[in-house]
Amino acid sequence: MTDAAMNSTSAAMGARTTSRRDFGLKKRHRAEALFRFYGVAAITIGLLFLVLLLGSIISKGYTAFVQTSITVPVEFTAAIIDKDNKRATDPKVLVSANYPVVARNAVAKALGVSPDDKAAMKDIAQFVSDGSRSILRQIVLADPSVVGTTRPVTLLAAADIDSANKGQIDLSVTEDKRKVSDLQVAWLNTLKSQGAISTPFNWGLLTFGASSRPETAGLGVALIGSLYMMAIVLFSALPIGVAASVYLEEFAKKNRFTDFIEVNINNLAAVPSIVFGLLGLAVFINFFGLPRSAPIVGGMVLALMTLPTIIIATRAALRSVPPSIRSAALGIGASKMQMVFDHVLPLATPGILTGTIIGLARALGETAPLLLIGMVAFVANTPNTPFDPATALPVQIYMWTNEAERAFVERTSGAIIVLLVFLALMNIIAIVLRRRFERRW
Amino acid sequence: MSQDFASSTASLASTNAIPNAPPKMTGDKVCVFYGEKQALFDVDLKIVANQVTSLIGPSGCGKSTFLRSLNRMNDTIEGCRVAGKISLDEDDIYDPSIDVVELRARVGMVFQKPNPFPKSIYENVAYGPRIHGITKNKAEMDELVHSSLRRAGLWNEAKDRLNEPGTGLSGGQQQRLCIARAIATKPEVLLMDEPCSALDPIATAVIEELIDELRENFTIVIVTHSMQQAARVSQKTAFFHLGKLIEEGKTEDIFTNPRNKQTQDYITGRIG
Repeated sequence: MTDAAMNSTSAAMGARTTSRRDFGLKKRHRAEALFRFYGVAAITIGLLFLVLLLGSIISKGYTAFVQTSITVPVEFTAAIIDKDNKRATDPKVLVSANYPVVARNAVAKALGVSPDDKAAMKDIAQFVSDGSRSILRQIVLADPSVVGTTRPVTLLAAADIDSANKGQIDLSVTEDKRKVSDLQVAWLNTLKSQGAISTPFNWGLLTFGASSRPETAGLGVALIGSLYMMAIVLFSALPIGVAASVYLEEFAKKNRFTDFIEVNINNLAAVPSIVFGLLGLAVFINFFGLPRSAPIVGGMVLALMTLPTIIIATRAALRSVPPSIRSAALGIGASKMQMVFDHVLPLATPGILTGTIIGLARALGETAPLLLIGMVAFVANTPNTPFDPATALPVQIYMWTNEAERAFVERTSGAIIVLLVFLALMNIIAIVLRRRFERRW
Repeated sequence: MSQDFASSTASLASTNAIPNAPPKMTGDKVCVFYGEKQALFDVDLKIVANQVTSLIGPSGCGKSTFLRSLNRMNDTIEGCRVAGKISLDEDDIYDPSIDVVELRARVGMVFQKPNPFPKSIYENVAYGPRIHGITKNKAEMDELVHSSLRRAGLWNEAKDRLNEPGTGLSGGQQQRLCIARAIATKPEVLLMDEPCSALDPIATAVIEELIDELRENFTIVIVTHSMQQAARVSQKTAFFHLGKLIEEGKTEDIFTNPRNKQTQDYITGRIG
């Protein structure tokens, strides 16, 4: 209890600090710092490429969501629409009438061009889209009394004029090397100064079917085809997949045979999707005689492809339910079935839903098997049932990339944006569902 | 002398155990195998009605295995096989005519770790009666849930939060909820597999008191690692070692006057 004793302890302490053992701390810290740097670098590179990809798609594609339109007073001349004056007795004449001429005449009048000027009228024909036909036809069919009157109508500009209006055509190039003539550019400016040119949201991109004219080409058929296929995948693969995994995981005896099945399911998940396309072609179309290009076949092929994913995700989700919950249910006399359906499945739901939605998202973006079953087709008419020919979103993108026109470039990117939006939506739904159903135990 | 011991250690357990009461459950030459490995060897044990029977012994001695074979929870373990005969009253529980669902409704179980369902407190208790169709209507169910919670000593803590998740309770409360859940199906026998091993001493004391009260209505078999607990709550004790039943008898006899050397070594802390 003296100073000397105190001193000796502090001396001992001091000695301990000076003769510290070498734990290799410096080396460890250096290794950790290096690893952190690698991690940050990897993430940065990943983000950079993501930004590049999204940036390029969005910068190329956002213009596809607006469409140059020309609003001019249209004279529904009876002499052009119904030159024999039979519309009272034969309404068909209103369907097959020469509406493009009506549209051309209206634009010509607005520009002060004489309808007799053949050369100028040819330029006008390339100025206003032939797709205006259906716009005018709809107006007339809805109200036949409009024939003989004049009313303002918003017509679609032709694709090249649309591109020119969006500044996508380099006007410094000599006239004969670009698709838009100086005269057409002058007209565009005239109409702009008149306030006749507008760029409304391009609903046609989401509603129109296939068309060789970009301004009337849209994703309508592809969206409906994809929707049908997603519904078929969901309602066939989810129940089959969940039933299969519940049986394998909870009821089946573990033996060689179930091991064999498990290995095969895992292998199926790794089979290239185009092989499933061949299977669909051989079985559904050639053997069962289902129609080509139909979403029913596409949906079933994609369901086969998604099935292993759903089974693997469901089994993982079932396995992650703690055994104590199973014991608790069995311990109070629940049957195996009650244990599974009252306790295990509800707890596995978030995992199952996540796996299903990820499988669906993969199926939504799948192209190769659909090419084999003939879904790469020019389908202009909206499919009414899953047995009608249709295309799918990724196939439509693939087909548009093969088109030469400038306006299809932006539409391709626009379609990619639409596809990405749907994929993002599905992933968000998966996250929300997982959060909502997540429970602690 | 045995009376002295009982008054000191078995403060809760009453000493007026009926010596020749008819057994509720009987194990007759019970052998249990996990695959090739034999875990239990010819266990003969009578479990007397309305008594607490405690199974003690070092880890891996087969006491939990024996407990789990009493309501056939061993069936869920792959490769597990039971030989010999276990009967509940007159019924051989391994007879093919016995449905395991019915057996487990008659022989309830409380597990080592509290395992309430991730549902409301009410649903936890109501689930068993509902699947067995014990109650006829909502009012009866309410009454059964309330009385089960009351008997499990959880009523005062849970009555205002019946619709809150059972997983939100503390460990001791969760274990009492599991007891309430087990007794709600009105079992005849209640098996408890180290019900206090995950609990603190205060929660343990509450559960032990509860076990003593439940004895009036149920036959209880409890596996425990704590010899003090066995002495406090049980009237009968069975000592297992290496898969064999070494000694069984009245708790006070086992703890004060063990016949077997191994039992003596275990309860005095020399082995185990």
